[in-house]
Amino acid sequence: MSAVYALYPDGESAQRAVNGLRAAGFSTGAITVISGEPLEDHEFFDVNKSTWMWYIASAGGFIGLASAAWLTRMTEVAWPLRTGNMPIVAWWPNMIVMFELTMLGGIVAAVVTMFVTAGLPRRRPALYDPEIMDGKILVGVDNPPDAAVVERALTVPGATIKRT
Amino acid sequence: MPHKWGMAVDLDRCTGCGACVTACHAENNIPTVGPAQAARGRAMHWLRVERYWEGDFPDVRLTFRPVMCQHCDAAPCEPVCPTYASHHTDEGLNAQVYNRCIGTRYCANACPYSVRFFDFFNPQWPKPLHLQLNPDVSVREVGVMEKCTFCVQRIRAVEIDAKAEKRELKDGDVKPACVQGCSARALVFGDLNDPESEVSRLSRSPRGSKLLEDVGTLPKVTYLERQTQV
Amino acid sequence: MSEASARKLGDDLLRPLLRTSWRFYALVAFLGSIVLTGLCTWAYQVYNGFGITGINNPIFWAFYITNFVFWIGISHAGTLISAILRLVNAGWRRPVTRCAEVITVFALMIGALFPIIHLGRPWLFFWLIPYPSNRQIWPNFRSPLVWDFFAINTYLTGSVLFLVLPMIPDFALVRDKATGVRQKVYAALALGWQGTPKQWHRLESAMSIMAIAIIPVAVSVHTIVSFDFSMAPVPMWHSTMFGPYFVAGAIFSGIAGLIVAMAALRKFLHLEEYLHPVHFQNLGKLLLLMSLLWSYFVFAERLTIWYGNESSEVAVLNVTQKGSFAPLYWTMVVCNFVVPFFIMSIKRLRTIAGCVIASFCVLIGMWLERFLIVVPSLGHKYLPYAWGTYRPRPVEIIITMSTFAAMTLLYTLFSKFVPIISIWEMKAGEHPSPALFPAATREHALGETHA
Repeated sequence: MSAVYALYPDGESAQRAVNGLRAAGFSTGAITVISGEPLEDHEFFDVNKSTWMWYIASAGGFIGLASAAWLTRMTEVAWPLRTGNMPIVAWWPNMIVMFELTMLGGIVAAVVTMFVTAGLPRRRPALYDPEIMDGKILVGVDNPPDAAVVERALTVPGATIKRT
Repeated sequence: MPHKWGMAVDLDRCTGCGACVTACHAENNIPTVGPAQAARGRAMHWLRVERYWEGDFPDVRLTFRPVMCQHCDAAPCEPVCPTYASHHTDEGLNAQVYNRCIGTRYCANACPYSVRFFDFFNPQWPKPLHLQLNPDVSVREVGVMEKCTFCVQRIRAVEIDAKAEKRELKDGDVKPACVQGCSARALVFGDLNDPESEVSRLSRSPRGSKLLEDVGTLPKVTYLERQTQV
Repeated sequence: MSEASARKLGDDLLRPLLRTSWRFYALVAFLGSIVLTGLCTWAYQVYNGFGITGINNPIFWAFYITNFVFWIGISHAGTLISAILRLVNAGWRRPVTRCAEVITVFALMIGALFPIIHLGRPWLFFWLIPYPSNRQIWPNFRSPLVWDFFAINTYLTGSVLFLVLPMIPDFALVRDKATGVRQKVYAALALGWQGTPKQWHRLESAMSIMAIAIIPVAVSVHTIVSFDFSMAPVPMWHSTMFGPYFVAGAIFSGIAGLIVAMAALRKFLHLEEYLHPVHFQNLGKLLLLMSLLWSYFVFAERLTIWYGNESSEVAVLNVTQKGSFAPLYWTMVVCNFVVPFFIMSIKRLRTIAGCVIASFCVLIGMWLERFLIVVPSLGHKYLPYAWGTYRPRPVEIIITMSTFAAMTLLYTLFSKFVPIISIWEMKAGEHPSPALFPAATREHALGETHA
């Protein structure tokens, strides 16, 4: 596996490199950008923003709600024991269990979605450079058809170009 | 119609002798904890005789009130138990399943009458009392709650006998140990669903009242107020 | 942010992970031995039965339940406050969130242990868990203790995830900075984190969903803890206001715990450049607010009971205000109202030292508050014949002390193995360029260094 990438000291030069790659015909999906922090105010960071996570979390919450309703009702009916003059299926207390499992379902669904869609965990990062953690921003392309084209597009003042 | 066991306590007849307490201890294998532990609040009397002094000296009056589990119909101890160790039976008894109890002691806190007891230690009996344990009643281990059962073992025994002999239970067939031991006959036990039983009759008495009725527990023990002045 | 400041941030905040002094080992050994003593004492209690504790008839709950409520209350420092600050996007939260969330996780673990410690037969605690057993009997969902089980589990799961997810990018940082065994361990913990925009976006979406979900859960947890009391017809327990009253008290003690923890971190890990006086000032204002809210609840509760004049409740009221519990009660009032009110409302006293003094008082006061809710009510139920009193025995005192040591120990170990301040969030906080943000918002980006 080969890759060509460059490290940039700031968001502006990284943005220029991304624009260069786009001009050279690379789609946004083919360009890899890696940063040590979220860079909310740059255009290149605005990719892949849309997510179904909110809906999946709601669905997870609904599953939690339904399973809690089933669990409480089923177990109360399975061996009906009377306590304190309350009905066998007492919805007031069951609602508390249902609330907690709704929230648990939502949280777990959101976290699972996050792990799956963010591609975690994985054995080793495909394209990576430890210098990212010192504030550098990596822009690169995995398995480029023509490395020279990529290098040319990545050449922006301040860039350090690397190949693997 | 299933039975609904209840009790009536005639405070006019109660002399505070404590025979019921002793009978209860003997019948139900309740350990005595000794003076040191009793002083620390570990005494276990499923049935206790509360003694109150009323009025100012020299105009004082001594009153007694035997208090045992009231077998409430809306018992606060039952819903708080996480394991159903405390629950209601079809015959209206407030049952305590020792084996199912994990010792949260929540029921004892919820009980307004303070008639639930916790086994702080494994039970011990000074010799030769260990030879007189009742084989019909299980001995409770450390860490569980226990309380008055209305002598459920006696109720069951009489019911089984009656079934074997194919006859109906008569009023007065079932006598818990305290009722049997009360020489003044202050305690009356029976079926509240039988309107003719003595306990039903006494429960309807205008002298009758329930203990802490305003807490809303619907107790099944009726106290008949004292009328004589001693 | 600039390369130089990124490097400095990494160096400063990773220092505790990469370098260890003998003082750390001494502290761990000291705290560890106290925790060990506590565990041995618990084993002793299990072996001998509850007779060796001070509980009696009718005071069946005492120190252990007090500790349970106290620690669950402390747990409201972290995740709840951090979630609120995240949602309103308060910039000064960035150095605070993680050290707050850790408190939640550890305090919950310790708090959740107490219902087990206090069981008469603790080896059967799993009967609270709904599982298909051969007894074919399930937990009683009408019992507040089962609600506790569900609420604490949800809160603990949520809080652990809320704490751990933002740690992944920081583990990746340690992976890139460390060498040897450390590198391998942190590489495994980093789960192969890269830092693509997609990963950042997903992480932030998950964090906002969890922040929204965890706030009602946190409120429900302490409400349910209060239901343990208010569902029982016991004088002064059976109250409709216990839910919000407990939640307010929990947040109150939680903020105090957070201030103490932050001051300790600042001093011992030399984080003066990250935890500024302004953080303590802001939290101090919150402490003042919660102190007033708590006092309002106590006043409302006691006034209602005094006017209600119901004999059993008045008995409890009197024994706490004028009777044998009065010294504890008035200490509580001083610690929870008088001291924090005066220290926190005078700006000149709202320094780090002032905040820490007030917080220590609040921690003591809130522990007493829980004790005064549990014990006097149980000792003065309806029938005066069955009244009782309580005195703790050594077992209960040792186990209580050892949980404070356990909290300190867990916190110390955590700050040794994980960057206690979220490094990437600090970087992101410095990030917005002045050109893009007007000065007014810029001020909130990190938490201004001036007071």
